[in-house]
Amino acid sequence: MREEPEPGVLTWCVIILVTCLILYLFERVLWLVVPGLLALVGYYCLQPLVQVLVRAGLKQRTAGKVVTGLLFLVMALGVILLLSLAVTRAAGWKAVTAHYVQGGLDFLGKTEGLLAEKMPLLKSSALVRSTPTNLDAVAGQFVDKYLGRVLLQMVHWLPSLLLVPYLAYFILQDGNRLKKHMIQSVPNAFFEKTLLLFDRVDRSLRSYLIGLMKLTFLDTVCLGLGLWFLGISNPLLLGLIAAVLAWVPYVGSAVGGLLVTMVAATDFPSEPVTIYGCVVLFICVRLLDDFVFMPMTVGRSLRVHPVLSVLMLFLGAEMAGPAGLLLVLPVLGVVAVITETLGQILTDQRVRARYRQARQLQRTMPEAG
Amino acid sequence: MKLPFNFLRAVADDQRIENLKGLSLFKRLTARELRELDELLHQRSYQKDEVIFDEGDVGLGLYIVVSGRVLIVSSHAALQRVAPECGPGDFFGELALFEESQRTARAVAGEPTQVLALFRSEFFSLLERDRGIGVKILFELSRTVVGRVRKVLASQSHLPVV
Repeated sequence: MREEPEPGVLTWCVIILVTCLILYLFERVLWLVVPGLLALVGYYCLQPLVQVLVRAGLKQRTAGKVVTGLLFLVMALGVILLLSLAVTRAAGWKAVTAHYVQGGLDFLGKTEGLLAEKMPLLKSSALVRSTPTNLDAVAGQFVDKYLGRVLLQMVHWLPSLLLVPYLAYFILQDGNRLKKHMIQSVPNAFFEKTLLLFDRVDRSLRSYLIGLMKLTFLDTVCLGLGLWFLGISNPLLLGLIAAVLAWVPYVGSAVGGLLVTMVAATDFPSEPVTIYGCVVLFICVRLLDDFVFMPMTVGRSLRVHPVLSVLMLFLGAEMAGPAGLLLVLPVLGVVAVITETLGQILTDQRVRARYRQARQLQRTMPEAG
Repeated sequence: MKLPFNFLRAVADDQRIENLKGLSLFKRLTARELRELDELLHQRSYQKDEVIFDEGDVGLGLYIVVSGRVLIVSSHAALQRVAPECGPGDFFGELALFEESQRTARAVAGEPTQVLALFRSEFFSLLERDRGIGVKILFELSRTVVGRVRKVLASQSHLPVV
């Protein structure tokens, strides 16, 4: 296999600029981008199932209909269930969230108190002085300010999630035809390189999105088992939330860790061993994730340097808020692949000469005829 | 009820599948297998004298001539003698299906020509999910490659034909 040259500084500048522009545009049509992305995940996950049905004797279109019909049913049931839960239990969720925020703040206060006791110098530090005296008020404010908004956002997003199976169906049915039509419109000279470009984008997206799903599953199982062993309430749900938060590299993991610690601090306020056990568990799972699971699943499918990843996270958040945090790395990876390959195509002298020859032939053809 | 464009597409698909069945490389495939393969094939049209690929290009796939004529020109005399010309049903550029290496010959359309292209990585994905199709295609491919190797060996007086 030939090694392709690494893109230069100028290429990377173009990649970053294009990524920012795409994120800015995505933020405007987020209601379509999120279902579109989930549909793409659905397509990659369901495609093997469709192929199994095709091999079993069903036609491609029928197999696609059967599989996406099932996906639609599952999603519709999920949305109905979530909506009914949100309507009936919203008040309960408010109380539970306030309870856990309160627990987390209590733990923070206690830890600060202990630190101040052991190290008197800290007593006068800004950190300790800034600790809120009325923790109940702070927890109440947090819940009033954010929980209602989060719940409203959830209700707002649920109907557009029903677009997911619809879009997945069309990608499954006509995605390949669309790809072939796009390739067909490319001049002959660029045909092979265009195939290569599509293949690279498809590989990058497939390995990233499917890898991410596998990683989420492994993280959920490990964290869920660990939390269950430590006796924390709702271990699987907590594990799943922490694993989903980890979709946002670096920042998401930290938030997930804080969440787990907050729940542990509330469930076991007088058992610091359990709380520290949760912290240790979280660190172990993160290490396992970085050194074992990640290379097994996502790998270096996006080929983005860690430093650039962190910088792009800040840029993504600036351009498109929380959605930018989630989307920035896959968008950057795909833009990098496209820019690199386009650069190779446009600078290939042989391909350009062949294109010029074909145009020349086209111009002389009517005269000859 | 089927929409007219769906109906037309189905008729066009059936015609294409029939045409594929007529190609020597795919003669062992069933209709279901041909449909699966058809999803991967790319049809291209070339004018007379248009270069399809050049000697030294990195090969990415195999081409099958549907109509017209393709001239194969190589700087290696032995290779030049093997298949100087490909007509309907013939294929060329098959080595690119096995490895990412440079093309050993130049392929030029001798007249207005239609070809089908099978891209290596798409063929590999087909091999992974349906080995049956892969085996049938590879068998036919190997027969032709063996025939070409024999021709090269036969043209070299100091080498025995095995």
